[in-house]
Amino acid sequence: MRRKLIAALMAATMALTVVGCGGAKDGGKASDSGYDQVTYAYCTFNNIPSEEDLDTVEEAINEITRDKIGVEVTLKPIGIADYSSKVSLALQGGEQIDIFESLGNFNTCVSTDMTYDITDLLDEYGSETKELVGENWLQACSKDGKVYGIPTMKPIALTPMIIYRQDIAEELGLDMSAVNSVEDVTDVLRKVKEAHPEMTPLAPVQQGQIGMNVVWDNVDWLTDDFYSPKGVLMGDDMTVVDFYSTPEFREKCELARQWYNEGLVMKDAATTTSTAAECMTSGNYFAYIAAYSYPEADTAASLQAQCGTNPIAAKMIGDAYLSTSDVNAVSWMIASTTKNPEAAMKFLNLTYTDADVINLLIYGIEGRDYVLNEDGSVSYPEGEDATTVPYTAQLSCGTLGNFFLMYPTAGTDPESLKWELEQNEKAKTSPAMGFTFDSDAYKTQYTAVTNVIQQYLAGLYCGSLDPDTEIDKFVAALKDAGYQDILDGKQEQLDEWLANNK
Amino acid sequence: MTESKKFNRVATIVLVLFTVAAILPILLIVLASFTEETTLIRDGYSFFPKQWSTDAYYYMVKQGVTIGRSYGISFLVTGVGTTLSVLITTMLAYPMARKSFKYRNVLAFFVFFTMLFNGGIVPSYIMWTQIFHIKNTLWALIIPNYLVSAFNVILVKNYYQNSIPDSLIEAAQIDGASEFTIFWKVMLPLAVPVIATISLFTGLCYWNDWTNGLYYVDNEKLYSIQQLLMKIMDNIQALRSNSNAALLGTGQVDLPGTSIRMAMAVIGILPILAIYPFIQKYLVKGVIVGAVKG
Amino acid sequence: MTKTEHAVARSAAKEKKAWKDLPLLLIALPGIAYLIINNYIPMMGIFLAFKDFSFFRGIFGSEWCGLENFRFLFQTKDAWIMTRNTILYNVAFIIIGTVLSILVAVFICELGERKRVKWFQGAMLLPNMLSWVVIGYIAYAFLNSETGFINNTILGRLGLDPISWYAKEGAWPLILLIVYIWKNIGYQSIVYTAAISGIDKSIFEAAAVDGATKLKQIIKVTLPMLKPTIITLTLMSIGRIFFSDFGLFYQVPQNSGAIYATTQTIDTYVYRGLMELNDVGMSAAAGLYQSLVGFVLVMIANTIVRKIDSDNALF
Repeated sequence: MRRKLIAALMAATMALTVVGCGGAKDGGKASDSGYDQVTYAYCTFNNIPSEEDLDTVEEAINEITRDKIGVEVTLKPIGIADYSSKVSLALQGGEQIDIFESLGNFNTCVSTDMTYDITDLLDEYGSETKELVGENWLQACSKDGKVYGIPTMKPIALTPMIIYRQDIAEELGLDMSAVNSVEDVTDVLRKVKEAHPEMTPLAPVQQGQIGMNVVWDNVDWLTDDFYSPKGVLMGDDMTVVDFYSTPEFREKCELARQWYNEGLVMKDAATTTSTAAECMTSGNYFAYIAAYSYPEADTAASLQAQCGTNPIAAKMIGDAYLSTSDVNAVSWMIASTTKNPEAAMKFLNLTYTDADVINLLIYGIEGRDYVLNEDGSVSYPEGEDATTVPYTAQLSCGTLGNFFLMYPTAGTDPESLKWELEQNEKAKTSPAMGFTFDSDAYKTQYTAVTNVIQQYLAGLYCGSLDPDTEIDKFVAALKDAGYQDILDGKQEQLDEWLANNK
Repeated sequence: MTESKKFNRVATIVLVLFTVAAILPILLIVLASFTEETTLIRDGYSFFPKQWSTDAYYYMVKQGVTIGRSYGISFLVTGVGTTLSVLITTMLAYPMARKSFKYRNVLAFFVFFTMLFNGGIVPSYIMWTQIFHIKNTLWALIIPNYLVSAFNVILVKNYYQNSIPDSLIEAAQIDGASEFTIFWKVMLPLAVPVIATISLFTGLCYWNDWTNGLYYVDNEKLYSIQQLLMKIMDNIQALRSNSNAALLGTGQVDLPGTSIRMAMAVIGILPILAIYPFIQKYLVKGVIVGAVKG
Repeated sequence: MTKTEHAVARSAAKEKKAWKDLPLLLIALPGIAYLIINNYIPMMGIFLAFKDFSFFRGIFGSEWCGLENFRFLFQTKDAWIMTRNTILYNVAFIIIGTVLSILVAVFICELGERKRVKWFQGAMLLPNMLSWVVIGYIAYAFLNSETGFINNTILGRLGLDPISWYAKEGAWPLILLIVYIWKNIGYQSIVYTAAISGIDKSIFEAAAVDGATKLKQIIKVTLPMLKPTIITLTLMSIGRIFFSDFGLFYQVPQNSGAIYATTQTIDTYVYRGLMELNDVGMSAAAGLYQSLVGFVLVMIANTIVRKIDSDNALF
């Protein structure tokens, strides 16, 4: 018996050794080919392709890059869920990653020295990109006058919308065109509730959010985001204000409370495990509020599949508002540990300017992974979809280089692209665009304040906490946590920035 | 006799209650995984779902993911990992239990200390990948973290100390047996209950682990079942959350959520249920019946 | 004998003694080597707790920053609440968990080899195989106010008003305790089951011959025999008394802010506080703080145990 066990163990060990080989593909600068080597780590929302399928795409890209810039690229797709942690681990562990992106954590990347100062490189090897992106946006990716990242070129302006069931709106004869603000939504919800008492009119977007956080069209979060605001600018006034003490915040909370009390919104919104898409699919909900970057019709069309069979439509209920963190949320950076910054910059430049490179990255190999239709749009080959083709990163289209160079997917309205570009340029922009708050000196206060915000904000925004009593407690708890230090720090840095940028 | 019978009856009743409490929620998960997504959200979880559906399982199969392969990896890793771990653990615990061993307290402290302090993932990651080069090998799923657990070592040491009389060791020593022979021929056979216990613990630990995979394995061919499930779920979650959709401003896909999560939980436990009679025979029985028979 | 002779003889004896320990050391060697590689060398990461971490400079190159990284743990009034919660929950888990696992183990051993025992033990292990996320979903299925079982089925039948559980802070100590026991009891009882089956059966037989009832046998024989196991397990739990099972306190309460007063522990506080900053140094500091407190407590407890009953001390 014992001998058998040992024999089995030995066999298993050998199996391990056999399977175990093969792996470990280390990128490095030194290469037989003589070309500079660059590793490009990008986040993908699709399946991670197998190594062989990835290699063909890599080779196709290299055919272009060898000629154009004398560089060979290694692609490193990483799943969205652990992109940031894997990149950070790889960089600390001394693995080669030369180019990576921020996913809402631009400031952390810069303050922990993950990023290379690309100010000069950009002039030398990325002038086309520089021109394309524009000074304004590059400033949003800068700190102390040095550029650390390049924002992706994509529809960036997010407009708050209500996504609703078209069939029910028609049935009840609701005039959705008259709904232009979050306050206007109340009446619509009431009417739905009246006609369909079995339904809950408004679904949360996800745990803790019923949409109140996205309906601000004059607030600059000053480097924080709408999930956890701390010290903001309102309108054109350059004074940092405590968001939670403003009458505007109180109004929104009172509105949410009213919805909650009248049964217009899911009671458990602050703790639910369901997302808006799931709620809409169930047929039990009429609408939800979220912010999107497409025009109304396109937004509805893109959301239809996940919201089930009932027809849905979208209506804007506010304006987009651009501030620094909208721009640098997804930005491309060169790792501070890179051995080859010039080559990295050259390749990064191509992802903004070379349509062939970017389309290879996003759609893979023509004929195998996608087909090009006559109108210049792209579809999956007959009988295939996103989950079956060998390579696609289609869902990452808003994160890779230049969105506007990518082939459109079949069924998109070419007019939409124009609208989106226009939005990027015309959307209302914060007077502090380009300002970045360095929170490094306030880390202690940040942790404590974040905890307090987590405790109160979701409940207030979802109506399950009574603003009359809870806002005061909230503000007091913030004060205890050292909130004022953050406000003062922001004001100080902002004043300095203003002085330098006049 | 009647007193003993009465006691047995009480024991049975209490255990039945515990068992029901353990099984009912699991049953709920299984049922939820077969419930239609919309029903699940509208009516909540139910023991009597109104609409049945196998969509969640269909989705998993359609994903083209290699569940079978991942099961294989998980079984291999669990088997090899548990065997190695039990061997090293019982060996490490043996000297600690020997009263004549001068360094027993030092060693015990050395082992216990690892339960309290750790240096975080980064140094471990650097060492395993840069020095031992285990990244993207099956060893990455076996070696880091789980091979020796201080908790298990101390359990075994405790058992040696309290359940195996010193006289047995002394007798063997007089017979001229070497330390290793004593360990192999005397200690191990007598320690069956605790070996069964730590095998079970270690086995569950390997089976349920996905963090080693997360850090050390990129190659999908080497995904264990838990890592595979975790990856599918995380990706669904990331896609469904509108904050990401907004961040990326891009298109989305049609994905069932809750029922898939439940189906995954079922897929994660299923093989364990399937081989339970086997585990039962060799492990749990070992724990209950034991080896020391009066 | 001269002095030198004495010394030579003594050192020879010492050498012989050292030799005597060598085979035992060799047996332990693979385990020792593994712990050094897997646990001790990476402990250099603890330095991070005192560093202002920079990716570019690495662990050793980064600048020292004293105790700066520890400050956030004591920044708020919550520091007291989260510490209190962590300790109280752990104490409750240790006491109630131990009592119940012994109970289950005693019953299982009493029923012995009967077929049904297999199923009891197997079933009770199942909850341990579920992830906290899934358990969070199950708890939500029971507790949510719109479709939850408790509100819909039980309270509804009894004619009581529904309760919004995720806002009722008083209920959570009990809820978390139940969930903890539900998940862990089968697992924990195995240790005791193994210990009981290690007891020499003749002791029970002798007791039975003496006319001891079952209950008496348990109190007089089983429990004293389990004492070493109980002490060891408790000492180990004391070492981790400042740690909490993150999943239990984060996933199960669904991150509901209204019940922080009774669900916030050190681990959830650290997680929530650092999820935006993602600061390596501060999370290392938090871990070190938890470890150090546990270490001090366990040293004290172990010393006490050694004074009273040296055989059962951990080291």
